[in-house]
Amino acid sequence: MGGPMPPTDAFSCPEDGLFRLMAWLSPSFPVGAFTWSHGVEYAVEVGRVTNRASLTAWVSWILEAGAGRVDADLLREAMIAVAADDLDRLLRVTEEGDALRGTHEMVQESTTQGEAFLRAIGDCWPVPGLERWRAALKGLGRPCPYPVAVGLASALHGIPAGPVLSAFLHALGANLISAGVRLVPLGQTDGQKALAALGAVVARAARASLERPWEDLGAAAPMVDWTSIRHETQYTRLFRS
Amino acid sequence: MYDGTSPSKAGVSGRGMASSGGGLRDGRIGLRVRAAQGNDGPVTRLAELDQAAPLRCLFPTVSKAEPLTACLTNTAGGLVGGDCLSIAVTVDPGARVLVMAQAAEKLYRSKGPDVRLDVSLSAGEGSWLEWLPQEMIVHNRARLRRVTRLDVDPGATVLAGEMLALGRAAHRERLTEGLIHDAWRVRVGGRLVWADALHLEGDLAEAIAHPAGFDGAVALATLVAYAPDGAALALMEEIRERLAASPKVRAGATEVRGLLITRFLSEDGLALRAAFADIWGYSRQALGRYAPVLPRPWHV
Repeated sequence: MGGPMPPTDAFSCPEDGLFRLMAWLSPSFPVGAFTWSHGVEYAVEVGRVTNRASLTAWVSWILEAGAGRVDADLLREAMIAVAADDLDRLLRVTEEGDALRGTHEMVQESTTQGEAFLRAIGDCWPVPGLERWRAALKGLGRPCPYPVAVGLASALHGIPAGPVLSAFLHALGANLISAGVRLVPLGQTDGQKALAALGAVVARAARASLERPWEDLGAAAPMVDWTSIRHETQYTRLFRS
Repeated sequence: MYDGTSPSKAGVSGRGMASSGGGLRDGRIGLRVRAAQGNDGPVTRLAELDQAAPLRCLFPTVSKAEPLTACLTNTAGGLVGGDCLSIAVTVDPGARVLVMAQAAEKLYRSKGPDVRLDVSLSAGEGSWLEWLPQEMIVHNRARLRRVTRLDVDPGATVLAGEMLALGRAAHRERLTEGLIHDAWRVRVGGRLVWADALHLEGDLAEAIAHPAGFDGAVALATLVAYAPDGAALALMEEIRERLAASPKVRAGATEVRGLLITRFLSEDGLALRAAFADIWGYSRQALGRYAPVLPRPWHV
């Protein structure tokens, strides 16, 4: 034994990794995140999200018990598979993540962003091995779900899972808060207060995912699925989901 | 009775209470039905039946216009932690069957272990399968892990539905603790097209009350429909209109990769059951020209 102890906190992040995560999961990264509301548009339409408090509660639940919970586990599994150079495992996670979409628009939301994310990484942030993994995914004949795409790129770039989960969940939460701010509508200050309130939620959700067994993969947000289904027939729509 | 339900005509085996495999009770149904030529045209006959207590499979007499009807019963009267049940139904090409349950299933409070329930349904080319268990009534502190696997030939027609009641409504029971992990895995032509997993654990009362969780609903149901050439998807408009007639039920229909998925959520179990029955009846009539009603044991 000797030398410095490795970082024991799963959430410490090398500087270049932090820079990449901030770039990839910022609203300006070309995945078109701003066009998806994950049903928030319908929740606002029918008066289930009406103010800062109800928006914060709604988005927090999505992060901890809805798509955030499922996608965090898929992202984590994708990273484990890539780190182990286990192609079969990554393909299984991709298949699972692609099928685990409750509604028509949730399928679109995840696959459109996942494919756009991998394209942008391939074009602008190339890393050895990426093309080999992408070719294998293409052979599966399935689009790559967004969390799997983020997990794949992050693992190849050597970023630890903890910060990736935090950044991914932050991006999901911030995007839905932003949708709510435009839809309710809310002032920018209320939007920031809502986002600030998600800090503890994201931290909890990311840590929980790192410890969760694969067989507990799932969600408990049937009302969110309901808003997503109803959004398909909403008369006036700004968002694609 | 239908032809082919007599044990002498097919391989039927069974055993009594079993204790292998680590479960408290390892109940099992393995059912296979096949198409045959009867005196008045094509019929469906029992090909194999393997059953292990506490599960039993009965074949009630039904109208000649109905598909072969298999009725599952749990002679133990409920499920307790450690029970491990498996149900496998294979519908050979061209065969037509309705598999249902005789009564609602009660899931009792567990001292620790989970109830495991594995359902595998396989429908061959040109076959008709209805999977219609009655609702699972989850008591407080019960623990359930259920997976329902559907393996559908692209030329088969399948209606599969499941219903959950969170707590005993008659006792005004509220769930506060326990585990409900309820998963679907649907393959069409061998390809996984839809997976779903409800995972409720920890503070159940919070999840049930939360506006983005169940928003107070204590009854939920899912109906999955598949038919060749998009025939099930063509029902979407009509189903959506019918759902709009049930104001006490929050429901909706969506398409995911060729499947029509209808979901129901309500604070009122009876209203949910009525809405579910309406959509089920309409779907079986539209896709199979059967009577637009649920089977008799459902009429309680």
